[in-house]
Amino acid sequence: MATDQSYKKSIETAINNPKLSKALHLFGDAYLIARENAYSGLNFDAMRQELAAIKDDVRIRRKELLAEFIKNAEAAGSIVFVAKDVKEANDYVIKLAEKKGAKLIAKSKSMVSEEAHFNKAMEKAGIRASETDLGEWIVQLAGQRPSHMVMPAIHMFKEEVAELFGKEVGKTLNPEIKTLVDVARERLRQEYFNADIGLTGANFLIANTGGIGLVTNEGNARLCATLPDTHVVFAAIHKLLPTVEDAIKLTRLLPRNATGQLLTSYVTWIKGTVPCDGKTKEQHIVLIDGGREALYESKACQDALRCIQCGACANVCPVYQTVGGHVFGSIYISAIGIILTAFYEGLDKAKELTRACIGCRSCTAVCPSNIDLEEIILHLRTQVTSEYGMGVIKNVAFKAVMKNRGLFHSMVKAASKLQRPVTHPSRTGDEKRVIRHLPMHFMDRDFTQWRDLPSVAETSFRDQFPNIRQSVSDPKYTVGFFVGCGADFVYPEVGTSLIKVLNALNVDVVFPQKQNCCGIPALYSGDTETGVYLAKQNVEAFTEAKVDYIISICPTCTMAIKRDFVERLADHPGWSAKALALSDKTMDASAFLENVLGASEKLGNLSGNGSVTYHDSCHLKRGNNVFKEPRALLGASGYEISEMKNSDRCCGFGGTYSFLSHPQISKQITHDKVEAIQNVNVKTVAMDCPGCMIMLKGAMGKANPNIRCAHTVELMAEALDKK
Amino acid sequence: MPNNTHLSRFMEMARRVGAEVTQLENLQDAAKYVVTNSSGTTLVPRTALSEKHDLRTVLADAGVDVYDGDFRKAGHFPGAGVTFCNFAMADTGTVVLESTAEDVRLSTTLPEKHFVLVDPEIILEDNLAAAVPMTKIHTGNEPKFVAYVTGPSRTADIERVLTIGCHGPRELHILVIEGLSSDLYEI
Ligand code: SF4
Ligand code: SF4
Repeated sequence: MATDQSYKKSIETAINNPKLSKALHLFGDAYLIARENAYSGLNFDAMRQELAAIKDDVRIRRKELLAEFIKNAEAAGSIVFVAKDVKEANDYVIKLAEKKGAKLIAKSKSMVSEEAHFNKAMEKAGIRASETDLGEWIVQLAGQRPSHMVMPAIHMFKEEVAELFGKEVGKTLNPEIKTLVDVARERLRQEYFNADIGLTGANFLIANTGGIGLVTNEGNARLCATLPDTHVVFAAIHKLLPTVEDAIKLTRLLPRNATGQLLTSYVTWIKGTVPCDGKTKEQHIVLIDGGREALYESKACQDALRCIQCGACANVCPVYQTVGGHVFGSIYISAIGIILTAFYEGLDKAKELTRACIGCRSCTAVCPSNIDLEEIILHLRTQVTSEYGMGVIKNVAFKAVMKNRGLFHSMVKAASKLQRPVTHPSRTGDEKRVIRHLPMHFMDRDFTQWRDLPSVAETSFRDQFPNIRQSVSDPKYTVGFFVGCGADFVYPEVGTSLIKVLNALNVDVVFPQKQNCCGIPALYSGDTETGVYLAKQNVEAFTEAKVDYIISICPTCTMAIKRDFVERLADHPGWSAKALALSDKTMDASAFLENVLGASEKLGNLSGNGSVTYHDSCHLKRGNNVFKEPRALLGASGYEISEMKNSDRCCGFGGTYSFLSHPQISKQITHDKVEAIQNVNVKTVAMDCPGCMIMLKGAMGKANPNIRCAHTVELMAEALDKK
Repeated sequence: MPNNTHLSRFMEMARRVGAEVTQLENLQDAAKYVVTNSSGTTLVPRTALSEKHDLRTVLADAGVDVYDGDFRKAGHFPGAGVTFCNFAMADTGTVVLESTAEDVRLSTTLPEKHFVLVDPEIILEDNLAAAVPMTKIHTGNEPKFVAYVTGPSRTADIERVLTIGCHGPRELHILVIEGLSSDLYEI
């Protein structure tokens, strides 16, 4: 079990190995393009909803389907064994091998066999299990574990492979990929012929036929299933599907999502005991629970068992791309790995992993089984916090300070004065002060070496609001402004800009003074209690205000009101109806401006000028599905948009993530974003999130102070001013 | 007029994944093609269609080294395998082979090159359209082994570089010939 110290170390080691991270970035970029092409002409959302529905039906009817599968498999000659855990599964194979006097097992890929530490268990029993999947073989020779579910050796380079293979065949090998693949081809061919048992996994188990399916590219699974006279299928129970047609639907998603292929080289459907060397093959199907029943029973996490192990949630994850699968995972890696680790290996083992997720929702957006991975991870983080605590700083910050609105706000005011000695005018001079260096004893130097920290505004938005004069004679709507901490205390000018834009479109703005922090920082740190408390404060403030809509310029706050308040207050009588009513009329500013007010048409062609590039914030795009709107608004305001590479990749902020829990990972992710922005060659980057502004203004301030980071509504307000 | 509305799509998609696709007049031309494009021991399984078309003889007459013994003893890397298929799927460029007979499996997994004969009539529009024949093939208690083959064997396990010919055939040649079969359940 990794201690906190060794965990921190493993992150540092990974970050100090830029070669790996670079490879994972290149892969991530290529993957996105291949995947998009693979889905062209298809409706990904409809397909994944269909798969999710099939998998949910399997969850509900699992007992019945399992019985049906066993009955049909047995009728076709298979021997089926249901193992409650991986040990039982290993023991079954050991017994079988002993009975047959088997010494060699040729094995194709099976993730559940990784879970079972199968190879080690066999070795102890005097049986050699030889991996035949190229990547698995590399990892086996290196004495490591896979760092990716689809590409087990993605963390290794051809030189290392040449060395490993060279040792194996007893000669020096050129690190040329084609040569290395040929070495494996030749070497492993002997294993299939010599093996006493061939072991494969299964990508699906079909209840109404009793058959199994293998989705592969190399062709090793077909050889493992064909040459030895005994075939063992090692499969987890959640691989069940009702029918052949359901399996076909799965195969339409799996390769597309895993590697961007329309179909893998081979899809192999095996049912029962087929002929083998003049006799009949012996086939054993070992069905493993290994903690899945418990996961099925967990209402909050059960969707994770819809997983078809495509590995996509790793491919797109900025944390995975930064530190790799050996740090960000265990047997299973990245988003799904966090969840499965918690269930199959214990919450304790998943403690650090739940915190290492930055919450960008890229995994959720790409999952072919429609699993809201980020939400499940959040749930687990809450459990981790209630079991292991969240650390002193957060405890004081959330529980003692944030809950008390008066104290929180007066502390912020005090902070604005206290920070004086360390703030400097920003480099360009035309903007506000920033914190460039923190006194050394206060925090790690690294903290401000690569970014400026924002300073607290002299007058918060809530204190400015009473003095803002609105001139809307006959307002079409009255909206309540949910300001959020970022705009309230750091960038109040975003709030004033919004009012200007809304007024210009004949909308009146009210500001309920009793509103408080949305509670997401506490909630994302696993402090539900503070989260619920804050939700109630806000629901009360906005219910009293009686407005047509609630508008926020922070997508995280928007998501909080739309989704989290409703969920957190669902079991609180008297509150849930109110939370639901608010949720229905809450919108992000860009969405409201464009979709309700039709702003881009009404404003016509304003004369904002210059080129801007647009950064999609995680929670706006993947939390609120808003990304066309800000572009339309900026276009109508007279700006020309030059798209950056991966505009919807996380900026690295993640709230307390970048300050307290994982500043090193955050720094790397931000670095990628800064590079993408600089490559566009524009003077302004627009965005719709104060969190992203904190991160990007800070990092840009150091990297290239001439590039301005601004909120979309600020740029709109400026264009209006020029009218 | 054969129903070959899906032929051009099938050919395009199969080529995209690295298969060689050639339209030929008859099996004699196919035999010449095999001679030109491969060498060494050639596995040609005895199946309903190969018997019906006397494929082994046609190939041997053209000079193909058609293997006569137990396929398991044909060496670890036979030169070629020549088979028919049950049907094909246009949207992914896939051929489908009911491979319950072991010789069909050995002929398509071990050799360096796999030649597969496809009649345009048995090309289905897409994977979803295969649900009907696939369900029918799997009905009943008979053991079954069905292989979808899409292009040659491949891997990207070393530095994510696509490399052809990992554990299965390095080349897949699809020979399209009219009048071979219109029965999805026959190979
Ligand atoms: S939410 Fe983002 S950081 Fe977290 S696991 Fe998913 S992709 Fe990775
Ligand atoms: S959770 Fe979803 S994206 Fe991740 S491996 Fe499973 S199916 Fe793929």
